[in-house]
Amino acid sequence: MDRLRFKLEKRLTPSPVMVFIIPLVSVLLALLLGAIFLSLTGQKPLAVYTIMFTDSLGSKYGFTETIVKAIPLALTALGVALAFKMKLWNIGAEGQLYMGAMGASWLPLTYPTLPIYFMLPGMVVLGMMAGGLWALLTAIPRAIWKVNEIITTLMLNYVAILWVDYLVFGPWRDPKGSNFPISAPFPEAARLPELFNSRIHAGLFFAIALAVILAIIFKYSRWGYSINVIGSSERAAGYAGMNIKRNILLVMFLSGAISGLAGMAEVSGIIGKLQHGISPGYGYTAIIVAWLSKLNPLAILIVSVLFGALQVGGYAVQVEGVPAAVATMLQGTILFFVLGGEVLTNYRVRLVSRNGEERK
Amino acid sequence: MNFKRRGTILITLLVSLLLVISGCGTKTPTATPTPEAAKEKIKVAFVYVGPVGDAGWTTAHDAGRKYMVEKMPNVETTIMESVPEGADAERVITQLAEKGNKVIFTTSFGYMDPTINVAKKYPNVTFMHNSGYKTADNVGTYFGRMYQARYLTGIVAGKTTKTNTIGYVAAFPIPEVIRGINAFTQGVRSVNPTAKVKVIWTNTWYDPAAEKDAGKSLLAAGADVLAQHQDTPGPIQAAEEVGKFGIGYNTDMAKMAPKAVLTSAIWNWGPFYVKTVQSVIDKTWKNDQYWGPISDGIVDLAPYGPMVTDDTKKLVADAKAKLVSKSWDVFTGPIKDQTGVVKIPAGQVMSDKDMLAFDWFVEGVDGKIPAAK
Amino acid sequence: MKQVVIQLQGIVKKFPGVLANDHVDLDIYAGEIHAILGENGSGKSTLMSVLAGLYKPDEGKILVNGVEQKFRSPRDAIDCGIGMIHQHFKLVEPFTVAENITLGEKHKFFSVSDKKFKASINELGNKYGLEINLNAKVWQLSVGEKQRVEIVRMLYRGSQVLILDEPTAVLTPQEAGELFKNLRAMASAGCAVVLITHKLNEVEAVADRVTVLRQGKLVGVLEHGEIKAKEMVRLMVGRTVVMQYEREPSPVGEVVLELDKVNCFNDMGLACLHDLSFTVRAGEILGLAGVSGNGQREMAEVIAGLRRVESGKVLLNDRNISNLSPCKIIDLGVAYVPEDRLGMGLVPELNAMENLILKNYRQPGFSGRWLLKSQAVKRNAETLIKQYQVNVTSLTQPVKVLSGGNLQKLLLAREISSSPKLMVVIYPARGLDIGATEAVHKLLLKLKTSRTAILLISEDLDEIYRLADRVGVVYNGQLTGDFPVEQADLEEVGLLMTGSRSARERMNDDGPAQI
Repeated sequence: MDRLRFKLEKRLTPSPVMVFIIPLVSVLLALLLGAIFLSLTGQKPLAVYTIMFTDSLGSKYGFTETIVKAIPLALTALGVALAFKMKLWNIGAEGQLYMGAMGASWLPLTYPTLPIYFMLPGMVVLGMMAGGLWALLTAIPRAIWKVNEIITTLMLNYVAILWVDYLVFGPWRDPKGSNFPISAPFPEAARLPELFNSRIHAGLFFAIALAVILAIIFKYSRWGYSINVIGSSERAAGYAGMNIKRNILLVMFLSGAISGLAGMAEVSGIIGKLQHGISPGYGYTAIIVAWLSKLNPLAILIVSVLFGALQVGGYAVQVEGVPAAVATMLQGTILFFVLGGEVLTNYRVRLVSRNGEERK
Repeated sequence: MNFKRRGTILITLLVSLLLVISGCGTKTPTATPTPEAAKEKIKVAFVYVGPVGDAGWTTAHDAGRKYMVEKMPNVETTIMESVPEGADAERVITQLAEKGNKVIFTTSFGYMDPTINVAKKYPNVTFMHNSGYKTADNVGTYFGRMYQARYLTGIVAGKTTKTNTIGYVAAFPIPEVIRGINAFTQGVRSVNPTAKVKVIWTNTWYDPAAEKDAGKSLLAAGADVLAQHQDTPGPIQAAEEVGKFGIGYNTDMAKMAPKAVLTSAIWNWGPFYVKTVQSVIDKTWKNDQYWGPISDGIVDLAPYGPMVTDDTKKLVADAKAKLVSKSWDVFTGPIKDQTGVVKIPAGQVMSDKDMLAFDWFVEGVDGKIPAAK
Repeated sequence: MKQVVIQLQGIVKKFPGVLANDHVDLDIYAGEIHAILGENGSGKSTLMSVLAGLYKPDEGKILVNGVEQKFRSPRDAIDCGIGMIHQHFKLVEPFTVAENITLGEKHKFFSVSDKKFKASINELGNKYGLEINLNAKVWQLSVGEKQRVEIVRMLYRGSQVLILDEPTAVLTPQEAGELFKNLRAMASAGCAVVLITHKLNEVEAVADRVTVLRQGKLVGVLEHGEIKAKEMVRLMVGRTVVMQYEREPSPVGEVVLELDKVNCFNDMGLACLHDLSFTVRAGEILGLAGVSGNGQREMAEVIAGLRRVESGKVLLNDRNISNLSPCKIIDLGVAYVPEDRLGMGLVPELNAMENLILKNYRQPGFSGRWLLKSQAVKRNAETLIKQYQVNVTSLTQPVKVLSGGNLQKLLLAREISSSPKLMVVIYPARGLDIGATEAVHKLLLKLKTSRTAILLISEDLDEIYRLADRVGVVYNGQLTGDFPVEQADLEEVGLLMTGSRSARERMNDDGPAQI
């Protein structure tokens, strides 16, 4: 009666070697599995992986495009991380991004002749306000009646996306656009400057600056300390005399404002107008990015670039004739193994018999 | 488990990884050289908004691509599926240009500005943008007069309906969709002046569940024939489930719901793709705004279902003959709008410019255009 | 010679980083009450969990009636007649007592006839004096009654060996007395009863034999006649412990805390304190005895500003502090050691440095306008940990890994170092072992000499008698007794705790009360 089974045991302290090796092995395993799958579907794994790498990290253009992709990911992930630090499960970054894009777009669409030194700062402020206030809508019921913010933030995503749709199909539609659902193009003064002769825009500085500021707040500031306490134990925070309600409102507002800034950067830096589908789900991917980074703002920058690369590379492999579905599956496999490896850094698997004897 | 053992496993995995990658890499599954191999190959790329298997818009374009590959052996094609219309499109198009493609077809409206942007950087590449209105020296646009095919399907629907209520599952309130609804309604009312066309907006292009639900609610409101503008067979399947009828779009949808589909208004991009690429090869290509009529065959009707009567087929054939001969077009006056105001006086024909900016419904449409000013 | 029912031979149980049981042998005889004694972390609960089939031993044998058994689950152990009753009852609250007793029975749930079932339960009840109402819903029962249901359930399933984990921790002295009577009846009928405990007086009173564990090892077995508190303590702690503290007489000063007809609601929104009034003076410990759930936690929270005062006043040095913010009350010099050390008093995920500034991180000593002064925070932690002898391996380790005693020392270090005018402590030694309890008690006595007023809320009467200058009793949100410690009669306090409002009168009527 020696039925064998696997058992997960928590590691007391993850060894530093493991922390490094496990993600590496995870990626290798994912590539191996992907290679098997690719060859089964008649592809050439080596060629596919080569293009996946060169078009995302291994070439100048690919790398700049990866950064372009990483900017909104990093910004929304930073917003999400701030809320998560206090265990406020804001999964509404997508909607806050859309509202930020809308808030920022209002200025150039209404006053297209403003000079750049009013226009861009104005768009930043309006974008952040719009994203922040949108998030605040869920923070108020959360603070007063403990309404679950997971549901409210998620629901408001759909509202925000449809609201932007309404604007571009209706009131904000470009009168010169043959009734197509896009806003008028922004004037040059409303476009974030581009850097390095590529599509990378000044939003990169927003992401880096915010990551540094948040890192300092989390680690060294008085306020960061109280967020940490509230996040770890609301009861302890109340006991210590911290104002929990005020912090819920503040943190949620700022979290939404940062995602709103992501929306501003996307319309001002990349798209140059307001339209349907400005984000292919950055706000949702941001949750994974923030989580994998363990809410560490500097790690978020790096993980965002890796995720950007994964997505850019994922599209690029279609050039080799890999169908989009297989490309998505490849991305999913890599993600699955990395997340699975995450578990292994903190737990170890032991094969044991039902009697509890360990099999070596 | 000790480390030594763990190391062994690791090495085994690495070795097998290398084996798989290199082993498969040495295989060369490339096509055997064709007689024209001596000729220079030309690379052509397509950017699709949906998956090639969407049974709708993208499938129709890909069928056109396959047709071209068959007719032109020296053409080598690359496709990029499911490319979002936001920041990603510009990168994908750039990469295609960078990879040596000489002609790039971008097949969704949202690719308009990205196409124009990339075209600036690659003057030697020819870009063809589908359904937009911006052109450049090396960017042309192409589209088909689908409204003509829709008018014909309207005749079929108008002859089939018993309840005099026809449902129309509409995508987004943009001129293309509005034009289609209006043309369809004109077709319906040409054979059945009392029939109404009820419109529901889904604000989706590809959401099988939502589109099916929209179809169901139209059926519940008394419709017995459904038309649609989305890329999924949801609405016609909803019709088949309750024994009613539907009209497909994009490709022949008869296979999805054989008992329901009367006919489909279909795209036939193949000949156009052949012509365009050939003109690039011959260096005769011009940055036109091509809006192909039914006489070019770019839009057409799919074969009828068995329930369509000969009488109806005859009516359609007559109307088609008029359209093909270009002696008459769908939006020829007098045409009233929903409030009964004459928008196009008798004898006048609506201009292309007005048709491309359609923002009102003709008489007989039961529905509203959201946010119309 | 008595019959051996259970033999544990060379049991070894490892947890990651801990050797919980190190080659422990144990014999249990039919008809005895056998106490397993040890401090927290000595491995007594682990050993019994091995016996009850909850854990699988890494080494060693379990023999039941001389036959070796391998338990794969608690069900196997139950089938061998071994039943364990945990501190946290495993009962389904919305179900009736009868449903709970039959719950989990293989194949029997629907087939057992009602009559036969009731008859057998009644028989058990008569035999051991375990009376229960089979039709009552479990949530309606008192803690003692719930425990009785657990016992009956195990007996009904044919348990010959009954293991009880700290059974009296949640009982009043009266209920505990009742329980021991029942257990004795069971032992006389041939059952083996195993008690896991660290309360020496109980062991002295009821146990036939005692096995003492220390740090996972068996350190001694005491036979009947050898069971003496002093000897047991020596075995448990490994040294002798003073049972009575030297109490320096300290002058009692002005009134620091006064509650004046305070009313408040509990978490369910029900009235919970009823016109509660009392005072605590500087340099005095007021010990409030009471069974938990009688408004003690709410009372402490009202004083700390964590709960709204609905009516009445809370005065600190004659200043009304009712419904001030917790922050303000902290600044006014009120320290509070809550019942829930880890989760309220300390933040589990944070390290010792961070936890030690939980209440005063805003003060200029520890932070500027924006940033924390990390050097000051670190120095503060190093000083306090040394001064209060908190055993931490690293300053950066989350405090959740610390033992209960170290947590309580850490918490007290922070609260005492703020030099409070008033200290509210609730159940300060709950769950602590003898060594840690002693340390905590000494800290409180020392604090008293610095003229702090101390409100000690506890349900452990020993603790109250050893520390308090005055003894009060709380029952149902009211003060039902207030005596100087010398005049507080143990029996009377016990009766007041159970709500016998006029205990003294009743004793006069009925003659000496039996406890």
